[in-house]
This record gives sequence, structure tokens and C-alpha cells, in this order.
Amino acid sequence: MTRHLILEDGTVFAGEGFGSPATTFGEIIFDTAMVGYQETITNPIYDGQMIVFAMPVVGADGIHAEAYESIAPKVRGVIVHDLAEVSTNRQRRMNLDRFLKQHNVPGICQVDTRQLIRHLRETGPQKATIVDVVDDHAFDQLNATVLTNKQVQNTATPKAYANPGHGFHIIVIDFGLKHGILRILGEYDANVTVLPYSTTVDEVLTLDPDGIILSTGPGNPEDLPESVLTLIRVLQTKAPLLGVGLGHELFALANGASLQALPAEYHGMNHPIQEIISQQIFYARQGRGYVVDWHSLNANKLFATHRDLVDDSIQGLRHRDFPAFSVQFFPDGAPGPLEASVIITDFFETVADYVQESN
Amino acid sequence: MYKNPTKTNAKKILLIGGGETDFGLQGETDVAIYQVIPLLKKMGYQPYVLDDNPYALSLESTVAETVIAPLTVTAVQSLIQKEGIEAVLPVFGGRRAVRLWGQVLSDWQDERNGFQPETLGLPVQTVQDVRDGRALMERLALAELPILEAEAASSSAEANQFLRDYGLPLVIRAHHPKVGNTQRIVDRLDDFDQAIEQVRAQSLTNDVLISRAINGMKEVSLLVARDQRGNTLQIGASEDMDPIGIHSSDSLSVAPVLTVADRVLEEMRSQAFLAAEVLGVQGFLHVQFAFDEKTDALYIIKVAPYLDLVASRLALVTGYPAMLVGVQLALGLPITAVTLPQSYHQKLAMMEPVMDHIAVKLPIFSFGDLAAAGVTVNRQLGSIQKSVGSALGFGRTFIEALEKAIRAAHFNNRSFSPEFMDRLTDDELIQQLIHPQDNRVLLLIEALRRGYEVDELSELTDIDEFYFYQLQRLIAIQQKIEAAPGNQQMLQIGKESGLSDGLIARFWQRDFQTIRAQGQLADILPTYKALEPTAGEFPEHAHQYYATFESENESSQLGQQSVLIVGAGAFRMGDGAAAGYVLTVALAELRRLNYQTIVLNNSAADASLLPHLSDKQYLEPLETSDVMAVVDQEAPQAILVPGNRRKLIDALQKLGQTVFVLPKEKHQPDGPDSNQSEFNLSFFYDGQRTYPLALTQHRQGELRLLKNTIPADFLADLQPQQPGFYQIIWRRPVFAWQKQVPMPDLSTDAWLRPMPYGHLAYLSKVLGLPLVRYLIRALVGQLSPADQEQLLAAQTMPQKPLAMVAGRSDFALHLQPDQVIDATRFEMGPRLVAFEQED
Amino acid sequence: MAEKVVLDQAAMQRALTRITYEILERNKGGQDLILVGVKTRGEFLAQRIANRLEQLEQVQIPVMAIDITNYRDDRLHEEDNFGLNPDETVNIIDQKIVLVDDVLYTGRTTRAALDALIQIGRPQAISLAVLVDRGHRELPIRADFVGKNIPTAQTEKIRVLVEEVDGRDAVEITN
Repeated sequence: MTRHLILEDGTVFAGEGFGSPATTFGEIIFDTAMVGYQETITNPIYDGQMIVFAMPVVGADGIHAEAYESIAPKVRGVIVHDLAEVSTNRQRRMNLDRFLKQHNVPGICQVDTRQLIRHLRETGPQKATIVDVVDDHAFDQLNATVLTNKQVQNTATPKAYANPGHGFHIIVIDFGLKHGILRILGEYDANVTVLPYSTTVDEVLTLDPDGIILSTGPGNPEDLPESVLTLIRVLQTKAPLLGVGLGHELFALANGASLQALPAEYHGMNHPIQEIISQQIFYARQGRGYVVDWHSLNANKLFATHRDLVDDSIQGLRHRDFPAFSVQFFPDGAPGPLEASVIITDFFETVADYVQESN
Repeated sequence: MYKNPTKTNAKKILLIGGGETDFGLQGETDVAIYQVIPLLKKMGYQPYVLDDNPYALSLESTVAETVIAPLTVTAVQSLIQKEGIEAVLPVFGGRRAVRLWGQVLSDWQDERNGFQPETLGLPVQTVQDVRDGRALMERLALAELPILEAEAASSSAEANQFLRDYGLPLVIRAHHPKVGNTQRIVDRLDDFDQAIEQVRAQSLTNDVLISRAINGMKEVSLLVARDQRGNTLQIGASEDMDPIGIHSSDSLSVAPVLTVADRVLEEMRSQAFLAAEVLGVQGFLHVQFAFDEKTDALYIIKVAPYLDLVASRLALVTGYPAMLVGVQLALGLPITAVTLPQSYHQKLAMMEPVMDHIAVKLPIFSFGDLAAAGVTVNRQLGSIQKSVGSALGFGRTFIEALEKAIRAAHFNNRSFSPEFMDRLTDDELIQQLIHPQDNRVLLLIEALRRGYEVDELSELTDIDEFYFYQLQRLIAIQQKIEAAPGNQQMLQIGKESGLSDGLIARFWQRDFQTIRAQGQLADILPTYKALEPTAGEFPEHAHQYYATFESENESSQLGQQSVLIVGAGAFRMGDGAAAGYVLTVALAELRRLNYQTIVLNNSAADASLLPHLSDKQYLEPLETSDVMAVVDQEAPQAILVPGNRRKLIDALQKLGQTVFVLPKEKHQPDGPDSNQSEFNLSFFYDGQRTYPLALTQHRQGELRLLKNTIPADFLADLQPQQPGFYQIIWRRPVFAWQKQVPMPDLSTDAWLRPMPYGHLAYLSKVLGLPLVRYLIRALVGQLSPADQEQLLAAQTMPQKPLAMVAGRSDFALHLQPDQVIDATRFEMGPRLVAFEQED
Repeated sequence: MAEKVVLDQAAMQRALTRITYEILERNKGGQDLILVGVKTRGEFLAQRIANRLEQLEQVQIPVMAIDITNYRDDRLHEEDNFGLNPDETVNIIDQKIVLVDDVLYTGRTTRAALDALIQIGRPQAISLAVLVDRGHRELPIRADFVGKNIPTAQTEKIRVLVEEVDGRDAVEITN
């Protein structure tokens, strides 16, 4: 059935609906990665957003049980050029169309996604809607829509839970955690406790962590309460700490840095990231709407450890006084290169040192 | 045209060429070398090129010192000593060049050969290991990379032991192979002994390597680049539709990878990165994987730390300037310091290419051409390559890219009418599904038409179900179009699916012009999309485009002064092998004459698509509707077309276009029988007068210059229809090489034909004259008096004593023909060989 | 003699990176810092740490080398300059010294190095960074910065290879 994608700036694209037939609203962004559509669609960082895939054929590999990054997608719309219809069989239990229907996520295909992306790279993210009919009502609805800024509340766990293992005790503060982080912690047999972001210093310390991870998550970190920053400022002095994605942005804010919104968000995995100390480069999945402002770094507190060589954005930070560091990119891949997982290795080495020294 | 080596202080770098084209060698090495030598020169080096391929463009380069000599240890050694070569870059010459350099290094003695030049791009150990594929694999195994274990057997007894230990199926390949890929898969006991013997004969050491067969697994290729500091990036990846068991060159391939999960692809990537590190690659590395979706088993089945067809194809389809980057990495620059021409994003070298288009590669088989000459060959596809070339289709869906690849490969339109496959019985169909032939895609479509279920077909063929769903879609689309003649929406859908006006015309039983007019009237026009490696993330300065049918057209008219060059398309056997050379020189000359040049072509190994040679490139099929669409877009002043494209030329002329024809016979030129010689009197006709050039004697498999001087007035009465290179040919029952022959009687025993492109390339080299350039000048009315003088003096110029000798293609191995194949007529590629002058 | 690689090039680079970060953590901005490498391989490791600090902080940290081959307490003393070349010695008084060695084993090498340093001046503090700590201490010495703890048997040998001398980076165990 013919449906329409309408952008806030008045641009309209016609296409063919798939997934849920509902009308949807969200902030539209584009992703240039060529793999991992399932992981991307289920990544909680896309809460409230609609994703345009540059990859022209999406869905050819179906939906896999091991490729979920959260239990249910939080994305508000999926825009592709060509939807691959694959049946269900032993390997692929579901196809993308059915998956989105089940989770009530609308999709639209046969859109000139290249034109759309070339447009969005100039305008930056904006509100958009997928509707059946283009009329004044649709535009009014879109203009009247106020997008939520409560994405972290929507996606993060409200209650603590454990993911037991036999290794180091790692506390994950959940801002909209993706499964990749739990998966990679599992590879280290870490004994994981996931805490809601509203947790207190005492609750964390009572659990006697060997290391602390500030998780990835959606939205603008400045929408979160000041208490989160206070929590980070204390925790970073108590045990090795790693911030990832939104966690990195919060770590920066907690240490006096400020953020800049990007003119066009970057979602992809093809930018070279340089480790400043060794000058080596590697690639990692990135998904960011904000970056830490170089000029805001307080030289007494933080220094940059990684940078994106294409747009020169800060990709990693480290605290001067504590074993606390953070990365803007996703070291767990899922989807994306595995090279960046050395960040997790470094974290565990640091945790091991800390544990040895405190004994 | 050929400069003598000059004294210079620049560091002298030798690029060893790839030699003659053959199965799996489509001239991509020459294209790469031709692309990188200007950069080397600009960086302050003095490049040298050694090759013996008469179709090599790099041998006519004006920035390199060029040497035509056989690719032998002696030739390389003496060139190094004579010219004081300081470094050797073998990787762009492909496997043949790397192996040759390995041989030179092994034989090197400082006291005899002097100071050993530096090896660029690969550590010496890796160069040596390339000579023995097993050594490469063992190094990967030491790094705990998953390879298939292989055992060497030098006797039947050892081979039989392996057979008892492991059972069938087994893969048998040559240890220290003489030629390229020689592997055989044996799944019947009866074939075992014969296969061992056959493969042993392919080995320099009479040994075979035996390993377990992995038929049916998915085949995926990754191309990665690594710099001296260990920074590694992935340039691209492609998957084969056909499973392992069918040679990758004979498979339909798709880029980017569509049916493999991220976690598996990332594992492949990590392994390819590690392989590049283990082998110490400074440049690019092609790694081929086998993957079993059911068991998650993953093996590295091949590594190529040198340029091959997959590398050149992935470079083209991603739009990433892999050759320009590769050469800088080989020189030791870190990837962060690589510089690119201004037309690229400043940081592009460091960015992993991303694609927002689909590229499908289809193999091209020459079975039909051979059948027309009465030669029957074994058409069954297997682990030994049978295809001779490949064509690319670009689109925004798999279907569109597939349809365009099919059209680029010049499948006959009729093949798509349901009657074509109707003749097959169900038994034959099943047989061919299990033992695939060259008509693979059409057969799969026919099977679906007959109602076979996707899962049973997938089970039977080991082809991913995704492809069957796509083919089902294609069938549905074609049926809908056939059912609704003249329907505008159906026309739109047909065009979006990559169908040509010609094919839709056939479905609707109308003529091509009607469909074209209907499309124009209804505004169903192609939208050209830039082929660029950032998927739209950055403002692009694109020069390469492909057509699709969407809402935004990114291509705008280049200018008022443009000339459109219709390429020769895919590499083919016989005279087609030289077409890339001829068209590229034509293109370069038009550019030199200040025309804006636009190229239309679809072969990854074709120099005409090199970005620095033209102002704009369209990667499209070459059917009339594709050409006309570009003509509508660009309104060129003139269109240059190879003479064998009769129908296209007629159609263009009918539409009032100015067409420059590069004369060429429609069919592959005939050659002499085995007991006779053919004599060719070659001449140039500039539209007004004729210029005799040379007389050659042609025996099966070899062409030599004769000493005859052609009387100036001998050709005076000849007036071909249009300017070009022509030949008077006649045959005599003589076999010995002649010094001179009497001139024929033109009225009775000789005939006229356009000069075959192969002869044109050969004469350009031995006469040292830029022949193709003269033709272009004549076509545009710019042949100068000086040019005319040169042409008139052609006969008196010193000639290089070089024969053109048909290549050493092993037709018996690849095609198993029922009779000897005429190597001249169906050459895969000739060499230039010095012959003793007999006076 | 079976050799086993316990740290490959990448792991070794990462260990040095981590040591560098930790040195920074405990020596604000690298002020008043001097790196002293114990010859031969410790010197190269110290130089690499200095290069890393320079990448991060754009400051050049002085690097000295100390050769204590002949000054171990279990050998006879022959000379008294402790291997420090007077031309190269930097004034270490009131500076913060990080002594860099490849392997920490009995602690005797470290002790000799400490003796040597204290002979030429009174630094503000001395800390110890080692790429590998293999255990079996015979003196009360502890490293402040450890790249990798590798428990070993006394019969095993640990070899640290560095690109500058050995042509490649690796840590290997042989027995």
C-alpha cells in the first residue's frame, strides 16, 4: 500500500508501506552502515527516532535470535529503498516485515533513500511522520508533535537485575543498555549487576564493585537529572569506570566539559578513529548526535584519548586522577567491527590492577 | 612514443607487468599499472614497466620507461642491472609477477647480480611463499587462523592413503602450480586416479595437495588494505550466489554482501586483518572465505596479497581508489598520509567505503562462439574456471543490478522468453540444477516457473533462499508486464527492474522506438546516481554514475563539447581482448584534443573506466536503450562506437546522431588453417587517401612482420566507406616464415576487412606509432600534415623484431574441447616474443 | 625449547599505553618527570613511553638510560659510575623519576638501579614501571606500574623482544 514520508521542512516522499500500518512520528536520521540492520533497529539508542538505511537492500538475512540488541525495538520508523522478503525457515525464524508488524513499528520502502540522505545531510535531523495520505491534517499533526525527551526513562531498566558470572563484579548503570555490552562482559565471565540510572552512590558501593560501566543510551544527556552527574563524580573515585556512548557524554559533563549537537548526526562505522597516544587507527560502530566540545575540556580533569579523523570529534576521554575513561563509539560492535573491543580488554586490565592493589 | 631511458636521480622503481591475458586474467594488472605510474612519477620516482602483453597500455605510457621483454628471470635481472633499478613493486602485476619476482630473488647472487633491489609492498618471505600456496596457508595456520588442512602427496600411494583416511569428496590441487587455479573436486571414486594424474601434471614438482572438499558452503571475498604501521581497513566485500564447488569466477557475485549476518562478517573482517598482518602486507589483500551457515564453520580458502580480479572489481564497485591508495601504502606511507586527487574527499583514503547501490557480476562464457566454430566443449561448471570474462550490472535493488548485468553480459533477449527453456525436460532440468551450466540464472528462473519450491531448490543447489525470492519477484514482474501491453505503470515497473526498452518491446511485440517514445512521454526517465564510496554522507564530486529509476537525478550535462565513447563491454575471447586497449587510446586522444569525454562501459578490468582518463563515466549496459538514455542526458557532439555494433550504429544514425565508427568486424576474425599462412597487408584510410603500413604473415598462433615494401600506388584505388585501419588478406598453402611475398591480385584472391583490434595493438607496438590516435584525429578532422608524413613513412621506420604469439591458455584443462581450439581465433591473450631476424 | 608468545605486538603496545596512562594519573601532566630506562630493552620501553606522553601532552619528557650489568649486588663491583654516562645525565634532584625495566623478577636489578640513581642526586620520588612482572621476588620491591603480571615457574625464561633491537615486539616464555 502506498504510504508517505513527510519531513518537518515539507519534503514528501512516496513509498510502499511495510511493517505496522500505523501513523508514526519521530526524529529522522540516517545510517550508512552496510550490515546489521537488525542490531541497529533494536538498539535502544534509537528510541524515538526513524532510521533511513543507506544500504539499498535491507532484510536479506532475516531476523536472528542472536542479533537482538534489546528485547523490542524502540525505533519509530524504518525507511529503506528495497525490502527483501525472505520466508521463515530453520535459520531465519522471522523476516523484517513481520518483525516490525509484531512490534508495531511502521516501515516504508521504495523510497529514493539516497536523495533523502543527501537532503538530511544538509538539514540535519528533523521531525518526520509516515502517513497514508498527504494532507493539511498530516502536516498539522507533524507540526504539533512534540518529541519526547524522556528516552532514557523509556528504555532503561527501572529495577536492578543480575547477570551472574564468575569473574570480576561489574556494575552497569543502565541508560538504555544494548545487549552487546552484556554479551562482551559475558565473554569475560564478569559477574554483572545492572542498576537503574536513578541508583544512589550507597546502593552501588554496597555491592562492592570491581568496575563500573556507564551504558549507552538514547537522547540528549542534558535532559537527565543532575543527580546522575553527581553519582558519576563520586563513583569515578571509587573504582575503575568506563563510559560508553551516552555514558561517555555523561562522564564528560560530570567532569565539567560541555557538549555540542552535531549539525547532522553520524550513524555508521566507516570513520577512522585514532588512538592519540599510539597514533594507530581503527574503526568502530558510531551512533551520535552530540560530541564533547574540545574547548570545554578542563585540562586539570580530562584529556582526550581518541579522535575521529574525519570530523575531528572527540571519541575518547580519560580522567587525569582516576582510572576512569570513556569512549563515544561502541566497543561491543553489534553491529560493527570487533577491533574496538580492546577498550573492554583495557577496562578489565585496569579492573584487575585495581583489584590486586586493593587486596 | 617509446622513450629511451634517461639519466635521472629519481629512485627507480620497476613494476613487473602481468603478461598475457588468460583465464582469470582480464588485463586488470595493466589497468592498475597504467593508473599508478603517473602517481609514482608525481611523487618523484622514476617508474619502469616490464611486460610482454601487446595490449598493454602501460607499455605506451609517456611517464614510465617501458621495456617489452618476456617475463623471465633473465629479463628482470638484466633490466635491473642495466638500469640500476633500486626497488621492485611486483604486486600490481598480480600473482604471475609476484611469483616471477620470487624466482628472481631466489636466484639472486650479490656477486653476480649486484645490489639486490628493495621489494615494495610485501616482505620477501611473503613473496617467496606466494610461489607455494601451501606455505602462505601454513603461516596463517600458525597464527591460528582457520584454514583447511591439506596434505601433500607425491605418489599415488600417498594419495590413496588420504582417500582412505578422509573419504570423498576431496579437493585436489597442484603443489607449486605451473599456472593459476588448478583445483579439482572429486566426488566419485572413478574420477580419483584421473584427477590425481591431471593435477600432478599441473605441478612443477609433481606433487598434489589434498584436502577435504567444502562444496556447498557460501563463498565470501573481503578486500582489506594495510599500511606499514599496521593500520588496516576493509575496502569491500562480496558474496557469491553460487556455492563453493563452482569456481568463484564462474559464479554470480554480489557486492555488498547481502545474506551474511553482521557477527559472521565481523569475524571474517578480523581474520582478514590478522592475515594481512601475518603476511606483512603493505597494500591490499584479498581473502576468500568459506562459510557454512548451518554449522557456523568458517575457513580461509585463499589469500591473494597481490592484485587480482576481485580486488580490481571491488575497487570499481565501491568507488574507492584502491590502486592509488595501494601504491602509496606499498611505498611505506601510513594510510593517514595518503593523498588523493582533489576530486576525492580529503579524508577518503582513510574512510572505509560504504555502498548505497548493488553491483552484480556475471561471468561470460564463450561456449556459443566456440559452438559457432564447430567446437563442442564441456559446459558443466565446476572448480575449474570456464568463464573468460565478466560484466557488471549496477542498480538500487538486486533485481535491477541482476537484469543490468544480464544485459551487459549480452545474453540474448530471447533467453527470457518462456519458450526458450521449455525444451528442457524435467529430468534435464534437475540434472542441470545439480550439475550447473553457464545458463545458471535462466535455469533457476525456469525451475521456479515450473513450480519448484524455494526451499527444495535451495536444498538442491546450496543457493541462499534470498536469491530465489528475488528471482520469483522478477518472474512476477515480467508476467505482469507481459499481461499488460502498453500499460504505463508496468513500463515504470519494468524500467525500475532494469529491463531495457528492447526487452519490454519484445514482451509487448512493439518496436524499440515505440517503447522509448512512451517512456519519454510519460516522463519515465533514468535518474543517474553517483557511484561514490560514502553513501551520500558527504557532498561528492562524482564522475561515475549508474542509472536507476527514482526521483532524483544527480547527473547534469557535462558540456556542449562532449564526445560519448561506447565501450567494448566485457572481456571476451579472441579479438575482444584488445578492444579495451583500442578504446582507451581513442579516449585519451579525444581528451588530448580538448573534447569533454564521457565513457559508457561495464567491465571492471577495462582501462576506459579509469577515473583520470575521462571526464565522466557511466557504468551501464551497452544496449541501444542504455546508450540512448545517456545521449538524451548528455547531448554529445558525437558518439564513438566500435564497428561491430551494427545495430547500435544504425539506431543512432537514424536518430540523427553523429557517429564515429572504429571499424571492426561483427564477428571474430577468421584465421588461417593449420597448413597455410594468411598474409595481411595493413593500411590506414583517413577518408581521402590510403597509407600502407606493413605486411604481416599469420600462421595459426603467431603473427610476424614481413620485409615487403608495399608499392605506394598499390592501394590507390581502394576507398573504404569510412576512415579506419583495414587489411587486405589472402591465404597461401605455405607454412615456412617468408621474407617477402608477391602481392596478390586484388580482383581475385584477396579480400578486404577492418583490421582486427589485436593487429592494431600489435602494429602500434612494433612500428612505434600511435595508430589509434591517428584515426581519432582523422575522424575529427585534425590529422596534421606531420601525422600524414609519419604515416607515409611508416614502412621505412625501424621495426621492432617482435612476433605476436598466441598465449599459452590451457584449453584442455579449462574447457575440455572435442578438438584443438584455434589459438589465434580464440586467443585468451597473446605475448610479444622476439624472433631472430633471418638476414 | 618450546617458545610461547604471551604478549603479541598489539598486546605489548596496549600494555605500554596503559602504563603511560597510569603514570600520567599519578604525575599530573608529567611535570618534573624523568624516565630512566634500564639497559637494554628498558631504555627502548622508556623511550616509547616518552613518545606516548608527548603525543598526549605535547611535552618532551627526558629519558635516561642506566646500565647496571656490572652492578648487581650478586656480582663484584669494578667501577663506580653505575653506567650513567655523565654527558647524558640530567639533573635528577627534586625530580620525579620513573624507572622503566622490561621484566621484574628477583628485584636485584631494580635495587642496583636505585643505588645508582641515589648516588647521583636526591630525586623527589622514584617509582617503578615494568612491562612484565613474573614474580619470585628476593627483595622487598614492588612495581608501581605493571604491563602484565605473568606468573612463571623459576625454571622458565621470559624474553621481552623489542622492535628496535630484536626486529619485532613480543614477550615469550621458554622452558
